Amino acid sequence: MEHLGYLFSAYSIIFGAIFLYVVFIWRRQAALDAELRALEAQMAALKEASTAANVPEHSET
Amino acid sequence: MLRKDLRLELRSGESTLALLALSMLVLVVLVFALDAARVRSVDAAAGALWVAMVFAGMLGANRALLAERDNGAIRGLLLSPLDPATLYAAKLAAAFIFMAVAEVGAVILMVLFFNLDFDGSTVRLAPILILGAIGFSALATLLSAITGRTRGGDMLLPILAVPIFVPALIAGVKASAAALAGAPFATMGDWLKIMIAFDVLFVTAGYLLFEYVIGQD
Amino acid sequence: MNNSAIRNWLGYATLALMVAALFMVFDYVPPEAEQGIAQLIFYFHVPLAWVAFASFGLVAIAGIFYLWLGDQLWDDLGYAAAETGMVFCTLMIVAGSIWAKPIWGTWWTWDSRLTTTFILWLMYGGYLMLRASADDTPQTARFGAVLGIVAVLDVPIVIASVRLWRTIHPAVLVTKQGGHGLEDPRMVTTLLVCLAAFTLLWVWLLMLRFNQLRTHSRMGALAVRIAFATAAADDGK
Repeated sequence: MEHLGYLFSAYSIIFGAIFLYVVFIWRRQAALDAELRALEAQMAALKEASTAANVPEHSET
Repeated sequence: MLRKDLRLELRSGESTLALLALSMLVLVVLVFALDAARVRSVDAAAGALWVAMVFAGMLGANRALLAERDNGAIRGLLLSPLDPATLYAAKLAAAFIFMAVAEVGAVILMVLFFNLDFDGSTVRLAPILILGAIGFSALATLLSAITGRTRGGDMLLPILAVPIFVPALIAGVKASAAALAGAPFATMGDWLKIMIAFDVLFVTAGYLLFEYVIGQD
Repeated sequence: MNNSAIRNWLGYATLALMVAALFMVFDYVPPEAEQGIAQLIFYFHVPLAWVAFASFGLVAIAGIFYLWLGDQLWDDLGYAAAETGMVFCTLMIVAGSIWAKPIWGTWWTWDSRLTTTFILWLMYGGYLMLRASADDTPQTARFGAVLGIVAVLDVPIVIASVRLWRTIHPAVLVTKQGGHGLEDPRMVTTLLVCLAAFTLLWVWLLMLRFNQLRTHSRMGALAVRIAFATAAADDGK
């Protein structure tokens, strides 16, 4: 079974890299979700402020 | 209107001298790198010539955009009623002229440095180099409008331009080497076709796409 | 949400097909006569190539649509395609190089296919560097679109010139296209399964990343509106 080392390394590199890319996407997703939560919190704060101060909400353009 | 833009570009005349000097120095580096003193090789000469040309072309494109940015000329041109296609044509013409001037200097130096002769073979280089200059100028004009407005733009231009320019580079070097070796144009037919195709493609693409690249933000 | 369900199913399907592909490569397909076991890399190398080029085409198509319609969605698609394409292009080159070493005795050679792929890789790299070094603005998106279009238009010329370059001065080694003599129909089947598996993998990764970029863009727009609304609310106080 000559060249087995080459075969093995080729396949492992391929799957290793794909796995790493998926990990990269996963971590980006986590950061994105954190951002989303922050935005949602901001929106909630806005809603509260406007209802509390009874200020007419700016209409969405 | 074309004239005005041309003059704007050509006003950076000091850089022409620097450009010529730099192409010469690139050739000097290649003389030592390829040991041109010992062996008489048209392949090495053609290769060195194109390296110097691409180098000069890149610098020329960068400088032109830099000069414009410093003058705030871009904003002025945008406000003018000039349509992007004409603007592209003007910039392309200016870039081509710069490169052509650098090419003439480079050819002379190449013949001297690489132990060649000033004969018919040198003259037959002309159409090949013109095709190359058109293609490179078309590409560099379009790309430098992109890289000029990006961080690290100066270094980005070669990174973007060189891979895209490769086919014309291969064809140009091969055709130039053949011309220097005395071969008739018929034998270089395929290479010339590639260069012509490249030029047509990128001049057209430049015309059509330039408007998307100079918009303000 | 409909979209995430589709993405999940795609993921499972990809996994299943990939397992099937591996099985076929390692257990089903007969070994090739001359090249030995390293030839099996071929069954992954070719699909990687197809996907890398397809992704490249997608970058250009997305670029055209972006310039035409102006919707940020197309730019997100293009960027996702460039990223995934870069991953597969890199893997293709690496796999090809590892395949070349035992067969040809050298890690790299300037044969027409490898050279063209390398140029493609450089163009991908340029695109990604451009996007990385510029801010997230519509202008940058336009730049990316133009670059993608220009690069793809160049590819046929690159292929033609590199092929011509190599035929006039043949490489040290005979062209490796001999590997395409697939005598046994089982080889063809295996290759097709691998092609399907990698295409699915590509689509799945593309959708994942595209969805991320899309969300990011939408959140950016939302953040701007919230900022305005906050400022206005503060003014009202």
